[in-house]
Amino acid sequence: MFDFLKKIFAAEDTSSRDKANDRLRLVLTHDRIGASSELMETLQKEIVALIASHVEIEGTPEVHFITEGRRTALDISIPLKGR
Amino acid sequence: MEKKTPDSHVIVVTSGKGGVGKTTAVANLATGLAKLGYSVVVMDLDIGLKKLDLILGLENRVIYDIVQVADGECTLKQALVKDKRFPALYMLPAAQTRNKDDITTEQVKTICEELKQDFDFIFVDCPAGIEQGFRNSIAAANKAIVVTNPEVSAVRDADRIIGMLESCDFKDIKLLINRLRPEMVRSGDMLSIEDLMEHLCIDLLGVVPEDRNVVISTNRGEPIILDEHSSASKAFNNIVQRLLGNDVELMTLEEDSFWRKLKRNLGFKN
Repeated sequence: MFDFLKKIFAAEDTSSRDKANDRLRLVLTHDRIGASSELMETLQKEIVALIASHVEIEGTPEVHFITEGRRTALDISIPLKGR
Repeated sequence: MEKKTPDSHVIVVTSGKGGVGKTTAVANLATGLAKLGYSVVVMDLDIGLKKLDLILGLENRVIYDIVQVADGECTLKQALVKDKRFPALYMLPAAQTRNKDDITTEQVKTICEELKQDFDFIFVDCPAGIEQGFRNSIAAANKAIVVTNPEVSAVRDADRIIGMLESCDFKDIKLLINRLRPEMVRSGDMLSIEDLMEHLCIDLLGVVPEDRNVVISTNRGEPIILDEHSSASKAFNNIVQRLLGNDVELMTLEEDSFWRKLKRNLGFKN
């Protein structure tokens, strides 16, 4: 009985369909550019280091892949410190 | 063999992943077009693992195969197997005891050129994978149908195949979603048509629902499109119309309800 109730309430959480979509979004982005998820970290580190060598960074820099149709782009947001 | 149209469509049916329904799609779309009087040939390039002859119920009529045609051991006309139901449908069988690289892309192109003289539609049944068999299959084609199932691994492979087709400058790539179960989509346990479109971003050719009748028709060697009461048949017939350039709306996919199940179990056609 408890299992049954748990099942009903669990359905409120993420469905397996949502989970499949999330996993696909990630894996397809990486497949399309032919890179692993480690690349993200490396890219972020190197890009931030390059920027930081020229200007001062303030806050948390963000580096993401964004997809538009079948194309992938790198979305970089680095907050810079004002004078 | 009388051509109905001056041009020929060479359509490769591919998927990356095996078992998603490529051969079933080829057999049904070809049969559907032949039924309408178009001259159609299906070319099985799954050399070493042929299935198309079995799906079409023509396994006992095979004499020569495509590798023998390529090697000049027989003529193309000798190797073509005539369908037992429709005089406008022919099959060029794969070789079962040979390998994918026993035929070259050039040889496939030459055979296709010869077929174009007699056929309105040439379907190429592509093997699973992205190796030589895939390259041979797309060599002569000017259209591609990518078959997938609403399932993560099939979608991932479909995406890879679409990427490869695009890098080979394919302009006409369409998606065929096979084995969709509407009741599972509704309960949040299966990827929906919209989900697949969002991931793969190509035009949708059609959706074939999961249908137990497909298993039965495959057992008999009769394409499901001939069983007009089945939902898969309706879906394939709609796709045939779309291949002919006609605008057909996606059919409403009915839930496998209690009443439908009861009717089926009582022996009514659904």
